[in-house]
Amino acid sequence: MKTESENPEPLRRVLNKWRVTEPLPPRFQEGVWRKIQQAEASGKPVATATAWMLSKAWLAAALPRPAVAVAYLSVLLVAGMAAGYRQARQTTAHLDNELGLRYVQSIDPYQKPSRL
Amino acid sequence: MKSAIAVLIAGVLLCGLAFCGFYYWGTASHRGLLHQPTPELAWLKHEFGLSDTELTRITKLHDAYQPHCAEMCRRIDENGAKLKTLLTSTNAVTPEIEAALTESAKLRTECQLDMLKHFFEVSQTMPREQGRRYLAEMQRLTLGSHEQIEQSMSGSAGHSHGHK
Repeated sequence: MKTESENPEPLRRVLNKWRVTEPLPPRFQEGVWRKIQQAEASGKPVATATAWMLSKAWLAAALPRPAVAVAYLSVLLVAGMAAGYRQARQTTAHLDNELGLRYVQSIDPYQKPSRL
Repeated sequence: MKSAIAVLIAGVLLCGLAFCGFYYWGTASHRGLLHQPTPELAWLKHEFGLSDTELTRITKLHDAYQPHCAEMCRRIDENGAKLKTLLTSTNAVTPEIEAALTESAKLRTECQLDMLKHFFEVSQTMPREQGRRYLAEMQRLTLGSHEQIEQSMSGSAGHSHGHK
């Protein structure tokens, strides 16, 4: 069975029959040109908004795809693990120093906290 | 769009969970040490890979050393306070100040000797290699730090007084 995309004839027939009867709003063309000029004059904010809209649209389209979602989740999982491991190493090194110092302070009268 | 937001949030949550999990797992042994009755001795056991028997022997040595250490602390404090009083009450070096300084030096030597004896005793209860490492580390952290203070003092004196 052929779908419409494979056989565009029915769609073409419908489009050929389609007639716009509604008149354009007054000064429509002028309004369009004014908006284009405003967008060009403002420059950067419009560009940022466009980039944001594009990113949003791209994310909305790409993230629900299983392969992209799995890749995204894997990257964040590995990043979280790496950051946690790194932070844990820093903390244990700090605790090692602190406990080592406590041991030394329990033996060396010249390093007792009250004397420092 | 809703599914994309769900995936985004799931990613952030997964990242947070992985961070917390690895942090918790990575620090578990050290956090355990802090909850021991004597964290410093628990650290010693952990750091030098000691057995329970070795730790028991070291704990006995440590406990036996403590009263002597407290007595040394008392004598050092007493002499320090005496020296401070003498220094604030005069503007010249008196025989009393000289005696207090001599006593201070004597106390430091006595203290270092006692510590060294204790370190040797403790190191002998450890496996040979660990004992050697312990001895080197303790000498660096105690006698080494005393030497550093003396060197920094003599260094600064040399600069400020122009000794050659």
